[in-house]
Amino acid sequence: MAQTSTIATLMAADSVREKRSLAIMALNGLYDEMDAAGVLRHAVAEVLPGDIAIVSSFGADSAVLLHLVAEVDRNLPVYFLETGKHFAETLDYVETLKRQLGLKNVRALTPDPKDVARFDPDGTLWETDPDSCCHIRKTEPLDAAVKGFGGWVTGRKRYQTKERGVLPHFELTSDDRIKINPLAYFSDQDIADYKAKHGLPEHPLYDKGYKSIGCAPCTSIVADGEDPRAGRWRGLNKKECGIHFDFNGAIAKPMVQADLTLFKAGAFIADPFRAYAEGDDLGSVRYTHIPLAVFRANRDVVLANPHPNGLLVAPGDRVEDVAADLARFSSIAVAFPGFTDGRGYSSARLLVERYGYGGELRAVGDVLADQIPLMRRCGITAFVVKHEPTRAALRAGTLATVDIFYQPVGKTEVPLGTRPYLRRATETV
Amino acid sequence: MYRYDEFDAAFVKARTDQFADQVMRRLAGELSEDQFRPLRLMNGLYLQLHAYMLRIAVPYGTMSAKQLRMLAHIARTYDRGYGHFTTRQNIQFNWPKLRDIPPILADLASVEMHAIQTSGNCIRNITTDQFAGAAADEIIDPRPVAEILRQWSSLHPEFSYLPRKFKIAMTGATHDRAAIRFHDIGLQAATNATGDIGWQVWVGGGLGRTPIIGKEISPFVPHEHLLAYLESILRVYNRYGRRDNKYKARIKILVHEEGIDTIRAQVDEEFAAVKGGVLTLPQAELDRITAYFAPPEFDRINETRVDVAREKIVNPAYGRWLERNLNAHRQPGYVSVTISLKPIGGAPGDATDAQMDVVAGLAERYSHDELRVTHEQNLVLPHVKITDLAALYAVLVENGLAEGNAGQITDMIACPGLDFCALANARSIPIAQEISKRFGAPERQAEIGDLKIKISGCINACGHHHVGHIGILGVEKKGTELYQITVGGDATETASIGNILGPGFVAEAVPDAIERLVDTYLAARTTPAETFLMAYRRLGDAPFKEALYGAD
Repeated sequence: MAQTSTIATLMAADSVREKRSLAIMALNGLYDEMDAAGVLRHAVAEVLPGDIAIVSSFGADSAVLLHLVAEVDRNLPVYFLETGKHFAETLDYVETLKRQLGLKNVRALTPDPKDVARFDPDGTLWETDPDSCCHIRKTEPLDAAVKGFGGWVTGRKRYQTKERGVLPHFELTSDDRIKINPLAYFSDQDIADYKAKHGLPEHPLYDKGYKSIGCAPCTSIVADGEDPRAGRWRGLNKKECGIHFDFNGAIAKPMVQADLTLFKAGAFIADPFRAYAEGDDLGSVRYTHIPLAVFRANRDVVLANPHPNGLLVAPGDRVEDVAADLARFSSIAVAFPGFTDGRGYSSARLLVERYGYGGELRAVGDVLADQIPLMRRCGITAFVVKHEPTRAALRAGTLATVDIFYQPVGKTEVPLGTRPYLRRATETV
Repeated sequence: MYRYDEFDAAFVKARTDQFADQVMRRLAGELSEDQFRPLRLMNGLYLQLHAYMLRIAVPYGTMSAKQLRMLAHIARTYDRGYGHFTTRQNIQFNWPKLRDIPPILADLASVEMHAIQTSGNCIRNITTDQFAGAAADEIIDPRPVAEILRQWSSLHPEFSYLPRKFKIAMTGATHDRAAIRFHDIGLQAATNATGDIGWQVWVGGGLGRTPIIGKEISPFVPHEHLLAYLESILRVYNRYGRRDNKYKARIKILVHEEGIDTIRAQVDEEFAAVKGGVLTLPQAELDRITAYFAPPEFDRINETRVDVAREKIVNPAYGRWLERNLNAHRQPGYVSVTISLKPIGGAPGDATDAQMDVVAGLAERYSHDELRVTHEQNLVLPHVKITDLAALYAVLVENGLAEGNAGQITDMIACPGLDFCALANARSIPIAQEISKRFGAPERQAEIGDLKIKISGCINACGHHHVGHIGILGVEKKGTELYQITVGGDATETASIGNILGPGFVAEAVPDAIERLVDTYLAARTTPAETFLMAYRRLGDAPFKEALYGAD
């Protein structure tokens, strides 16, 4: 297992994101598609020993994953999202499985009572705004729980919906955690066979036509031949509850290096942000770079939006117009629509040096190898890069740069070693 | 003169390596021509009509003998045995190969030279008075501040992709020999009410297709705040200069469209935020840089006058040379000598490798190892003892460099034109050569006196035709090269832009047309002391228009 221990070393070394990402890709190549137990055992023993949790809905197919968990280690923490909206049958089923599989460490995650009181005082949020209902009952509690772990195990399977069609065994999430999907390649039939082989109890509602079971109000019976998850949020354009969404609302995709365009802190990483689109609801968008003009026209709405968001500064935009609100944004994207348009350099310097912006400052647009060193000096720390030779140079760390400077620019450039006269002046002080 | 310290040397080395890498990536196809263009331009590399052209910076026009010898070496080794001195006090080579560029840059770096920012939409080489540090009429030597500006502007991360190129010229003398009113920024040494020396700042001057005389934006900026002030101007320009139209992208258009008062207000607002910060120039640093430009150890000379009148009788050619090619020096017994690169019938501004070697030797022997390039495309030995003039002249004669025509009608500025330049519409050099031959007789030139002819092969005006006393602009109309003639331009402190008097002439008709203008002037002047420009200003267009196109 020389290969796997190398991978484990790579990952355990807490090395740069890129190495982790490469290691993930390698891990995905190591296991036979159906070797769910191998995947789980490796994750628990080698990749994240003592740093892994299981999340289960205790729904229709949950028994298979939980059986695998019990086989590997009965003491692994298993989180159950106790949303307060489950069928009574589901709660019974939790107890059945705990008992039968011998799980020692099942933990219920409940919504924050303050959130419930504020957003769902009469318990009908599921009806008016199912996204928000999922958010306070699933996403928020789970986010808090998984923060304590380097990774988590899910029971997701490729066949479940078309959105999950490319699910791998191992994923790197955009917050740098590892998601393990031992059942990724299991088909409906594989699940049924596994259950039969190990004599696993069925969810009490399964035989009544429920093929995918979540909270009672949002789960309905699925007809024969229908997508098993079609009964979830029926009638709504909603397929996922949010816990498997990435930050920006898109379903968390498996990380393929070529898809990563955000270069930051020495590696290409998943980008939580998306571009603003015409018609976005400014009161509820999240992880979106809102154009400066749009922000100015809707300032109050955006400031009341509780989610993290960013600002897009286009050439010609006056950053002084939003100087007072900069702290609202966790990321500011400075646009370079053509690499010869140098207005962004001034915008960046003003944001950082004059208006004290301290969040992520990224360059978007025509970002090329030979401009990146200049952008860095102007305070830009992240780069969305599509130009392949530039990506290669960044990955390899072979950008051709001039690393000594005559003129002091930016807050971080200490005069020492920059401009000769300041260097000398400093020495004499 | 300035000498690189380790920092400067490391900087140029890093920049040279970076460009070598960029050239390799271009050759490997990783960079498209579109992506490579601004990179090569910022390293002085143009793609011309026939080949690449490399423009090498001569910061504020000052060079040592060793540096000029290296230029001779480059001309010999990588080019066709000559170089062309430009109106930006630089030198360009017209025939290098792309693969030779990195070794050329390495050779240059070995003598503290480079091609950084001689092109591209960035701050270009800072030009100044060719007699800086020597001229009798100088308030201060502008070169220490020019050197500081060179450093400040080198690879400035904020100002490397400006809307358009940006040229700064400065003069420390009262008489403007650097055409500062026709630069994006012009700096004129000035004294304030309390007697401190600082800079009067002009902005928005330029030639090209829209010639505009710069406007005063500040009457006085002290040395210590000059960098902050210039950074403020550049920031306003970078943010608000037009980028929608290449021909309206220079700061002159911004100043023209917004008005100088609006721009001044924006710059002042920016200056208020920047002033007093890291860009404040400590006096100690100014002193340190100034020390590099300390005057050489001059000898005490008993003779302090050259008897030009006597020499004109004994040796007329030498006498004429003395009369035209010397400039008053602040040190008694010394003069600055202009070495004309305008031999009769030659290409203005060209020098062969052998001539460069000769001038380098003369600089070492007679001018404290220092020489200058002028924006009028000549060379200057700034510090020559008058007792050495005869010996110096003899060497110039042997090497075809003794033309005594500085400031005369054959001392023309001409751009490379259609013979070399991809932008040109018409030839410039052959026109200059024909005019030169027509007026080549020394007596004729002496009779005419001060007269500056400037020739551009296209509207971009690299030959400064707008500010020629007589300007010639090559245009192309229906496949024919035509030459428009302007009269009355002036690049000095009495700046003016020449007037177009009528339709253009075909190439063959240009020398005759110029001759008619000259004859008109000679007939109309009150005394020989009234120059062509003075006469034009007194008389207006009419007689000159009639000379060109006949009476109505």
